[in-house]
Amino acid sequence: MARKTKSISGVDLTQIIKPRSVAVIGASEKEEKVGHVIMQNYLDVGFQGPIYPINIKAQEKIMGIQAYKSILDVKKPVDLAVIAVPAEAVPHVLEQCGKAKVKGAVIVSGGFEEVGRKDLQDAIKTISKKYRLPFIGPNCLGIMDPRSRNDTLFLPTSKIDRPKIGGVSFVSQSGSVGSSTLDLISGEGFGLAHFISYGNAAVVDEVDILNYLADDPETRVIVFYLEGVQRGKEFIEVVKKVTGKKPIVILKGGETPSGVSAAHSHTAALAGSYEAYKAVFRQFGLTVAEELEELLYYAKVFETQPLSTGNRIAIITNGGGHGVIATDALYRNGLMLPNLSRETEKSLRKAMPKIVNIAMPMDLGGEADAKRYQAALEILENDPNVDGFMVITLFQTPGADESLASAIAKFATGRKKPVVAVSTGSTYTRSHVSIMEASGIPVYESPTAAAKSLSALIEYSRYKEESAK
Amino acid sequence: MADSPSLMSYDAAQKLAAKYGIKPIKSQYVASADEAVRFSEGKPIALKGITPKAIHKSRNGLVSLNLYNEKMIRDSFSDLSKKLAKLKPFKILAQRMAASGTEIIIGGKVDPQFGKMLILGLGGIYVEAFRDFALRVCPITGRDAHSMISQLKSRSVVAPDKETERMLEDLLVRASKLFMGSNAAEMDFNPIIIHDAGYDAVDIRIMV
Repeated sequence: MARKTKSISGVDLTQIIKPRSVAVIGASEKEEKVGHVIMQNYLDVGFQGPIYPINIKAQEKIMGIQAYKSILDVKKPVDLAVIAVPAEAVPHVLEQCGKAKVKGAVIVSGGFEEVGRKDLQDAIKTISKKYRLPFIGPNCLGIMDPRSRNDTLFLPTSKIDRPKIGGVSFVSQSGSVGSSTLDLISGEGFGLAHFISYGNAAVVDEVDILNYLADDPETRVIVFYLEGVQRGKEFIEVVKKVTGKKPIVILKGGETPSGVSAAHSHTAALAGSYEAYKAVFRQFGLTVAEELEELLYYAKVFETQPLSTGNRIAIITNGGGHGVIATDALYRNGLMLPNLSRETEKSLRKAMPKIVNIAMPMDLGGEADAKRYQAALEILENDPNVDGFMVITLFQTPGADESLASAIAKFATGRKKPVVAVSTGSTYTRSHVSIMEASGIPVYESPTAAAKSLSALIEYSRYKEESAK
Repeated sequence: MADSPSLMSYDAAQKLAAKYGIKPIKSQYVASADEAVRFSEGKPIALKGITPKAIHKSRNGLVSLNLYNEKMIRDSFSDLSKKLAKLKPFKILAQRMAASGTEIIIGGKVDPQFGKMLILGLGGIYVEAFRDFALRVCPITGRDAHSMISQLKSRSVVAPDKETERMLEDLLVRASKLFMGSNAAEMDFNPIIIHDAGYDAVDIRIMV
């Protein structure tokens, strides 16, 4: 915990993300209170450090834990204060946190600038500055850090699944987009490094958060839902720093109509605010998602697959039609099929039964089993003309069963070339998809989603290579 | 919002562009038909009404092209003067005709969030119809210039060969430098006519 990550604005998020001790201000025995849910979650996820429930009306204990009327009564070091009291009371409570030398806060309470109470928001900003007490929020869900089991979300564990531990950090300006997407992430094959919902960004903003994640060894991929930035120039500086190291997948909400009527030139009329954001994302190597589901598509390919600047993708399939659709999807997304080397063709001819036509996309036949897939993949892997794989496994066919899912999983593990799989289907298919995803292969329901994801991976790989020159 | 920006005079804009190696097509303000005839030196010219009241010169009928004899120049001058009387203040610009080619637009704007940005697009009457353009934050690198061109759907029309592409990359980097080096709030080079791996910058508008 010695790592100190000072951001451009000098905010250190370490104590907020990975606190050693937590105070829940607004903790309550009453189940309907936000402070109760937050307490319950800390107990459910098994936070290891001391927890201090604070409530002005506190008697002896809250939820079985020694409680205090004020943070000033705790008299022990507190890294993080989670503040869940009515907005009007927040300035007073925050001031006390400052006096108690709390290192950071998450203010989940709403009722600030988002409802026109700029005065209240300004008040807590001033207090933050006075005591050098950074906080996330207000009006946010805050932090979930599965490694340290820090969890300020006021969403009961019974209603939203907690994702497993992994390398994807998910940052969301919005709480609702954050929580629903988080729930979806827990159903995916990849795991979470940190979840950060930062709401009104009164003090800690996107620049501070990205700056922390840039140097954070636990974060391999950043997924971001953004509505707007507050410091454009600093944002550019920090994303440049991040994308030189790791990918950022971003969804920008709030598509402002361009073609402002007050524009004085063609240029100003063409390039509105949304276009400017998109241009910045493109110029500095961010991967743009157009929809929520694309955030997940791209996150899982980045989290699990190696980078590749080559765009020649071998397609193997046990359904001819899917091979055709997948080929279209490749070319539509700037990818192409490889020209197989003579040697590869010869080896494949030897290994495959007569009914298999040795050409790209390669249809292994409806009866293709694990062995046939494995043989084809191993030969193709050694072809220098092949940069990556799209493996289509339709589990409705007679040859496809659990051993096929396991064989694909085994093949894809630790490859130097990216592999994505496509499996379209319902119940039977889904159970096999989980086998593959559990071992770290991104599986997509459609060839289009798979092709888009490979394309995003390749585009970022090229950006990274170019920008390193 | 600050005060509404004002249009830099054509002469000043031309000089500023020239400082960054962007050479506009030969042109001059003319106060009379006689002056326009003298400027033409017997070669075809265009006359354009310049007024802050109308950014769409052609849409407002303020552009007369390919005037290749004295009578055409005089007729068009008097016609333009009549139209412009309603759009004061105005000036009339005489310009040598550019060779025919592909019209593009290069421009700059200040984004409230990200600052100065450069745009490249398919130009002329197509700008708003196709909205085929690429945008970058200034200053741009040669690599940015390259990727701007390849981002256009019309890239094979705008830069049909390597030579044109290189010329255009260089021009984009110069335009970015110009924009960064000036106090301009908006700028439009529209159109720039691309032909024979070279260009004619027909119209320059800089708002400060």
